[in-house]
Amino acid sequence: MLGDARKAQDVFHATLREAAARAAQGELPDERFWLFRDARWRCLEASETDLQAEPVGLDEHDIGPEAPSKIEQLDPTQLAIWISCARDPQRTALALFYLDEFDYREILNLTELKLGELSRLLEQGRRQFQAWLYAMLPQKPNLNV
Amino acid sequence: MKTPRLSRRQRDLLNCAPTGEERVRDRTMRAVISRAGKSHEFVNQQNFDRAVAALVRVIPMPPETAEWFSTDLISPSKWTWKKTVRNPAVLAIGIALVVIAGVLVFQFVARLNDFPGSATARKLLAIAGSTRSVLLDPVNADAGTLSDLFFMKHGLEHYDVPPEFADFRTIGCRVFDDDESRRIAQIWVAEKRMQFFLFPAERDVKTGAVLKFPGWRYVHQENWIGAVTQHNGVCFMAALRGREKDLTPYIPKTKQ
Repeated sequence: MLGDARKAQDVFHATLREAAARAAQGELPDERFWLFRDARWRCLEASETDLQAEPVGLDEHDIGPEAPSKIEQLDPTQLAIWISCARDPQRTALALFYLDEFDYREILNLTELKLGELSRLLEQGRRQFQAWLYAMLPQKPNLNV
Repeated sequence: MKTPRLSRRQRDLLNCAPTGEERVRDRTMRAVISRAGKSHEFVNQQNFDRAVAALVRVIPMPPETAEWFSTDLISPSKWTWKKTVRNPAVLAIGIALVVIAGVLVFQFVARLNDFPGSATARKLLAIAGSTRSVLLDPVNADAGTLSDLFFMKHGLEHYDVPPEFADFRTIGCRVFDDDESRRIAQIWVAEKRMQFFLFPAERDVKTGAVLKFPGWRYVHQENWIGAVTQHNGVCFMAALRGREKDLTPYIPKTKQ
């Protein structure tokens, strides 16, 4: 969400502190995902002071069958930074979806998005990431031709 | 394989499909995946998502944060009986089961004391509770002598008061038909304002044989207690308002 380990740690500790304080006062919300929701807003607040990506249209490309092998060549930090640079709510949608811990209903609950919106954000994210992959790791020319 | 024609909602669901089939918990999602799951586009999407998710899993975590997960500080809460019992759903089910069990035990215990004629005896206890002495014909005699009266005046054979209660002085008596047209003899005695009932013993529906039971049996109904015995196809019940201990002294122990 933040693309910055130090900031992520600050948010993590702040979220836990808040949870511990609420638990001590017996005020833990009944809502199942409140901790994640809280962490999400803290992340968005923390990144407000950062340089914001301009709302320009990113290139998009259909997902190719060679994409997984290209993704394997990436450094995980590159992916983290790419996702953190997306504008919210796409950033939250991608982060939660690729954490692979929540199903789509839970993500809708957490992000307060509609199914159509989540679908569009994920589809667009995939296509943009694929285009970025092509830019970062261009296809090698086929020498057999 | 080409992607089959899907509705907009189905396409949206397909875009949000998890990377593993075992993670599909939604029936609609499962249906969409089974319909379009083999298309090239979806296979590409799934491979793409798996690769990204795998990369996300190896994004380095700050060591200070990782420490939180390596210690017991943040660990899944352990399952305990105490927690389970405090769950409102479990609590509600538990209370319901206890109530059902209570009702079943109550009915079982009630059935345990049942004997042929106990239902009639309970009805007569209810009658005893609502009877006023003015309803009865005044008779001042020993209860044992009323057998002749019942036989001669009402044609009731073997409506005999047992010897244990034969010497009790009577205040009044009557003979009436109950709701099943059975002839009931009711005697009111002075002793503790006790009432006696004589009624036909229960019979087997098929054979017509009297359903016998030995000794004395107690029945309870609305603060009334009755002791019932059977002789010659006729049941005798001594009833009074009170508890079993109030009636016990009159019942011969050897015959219980």
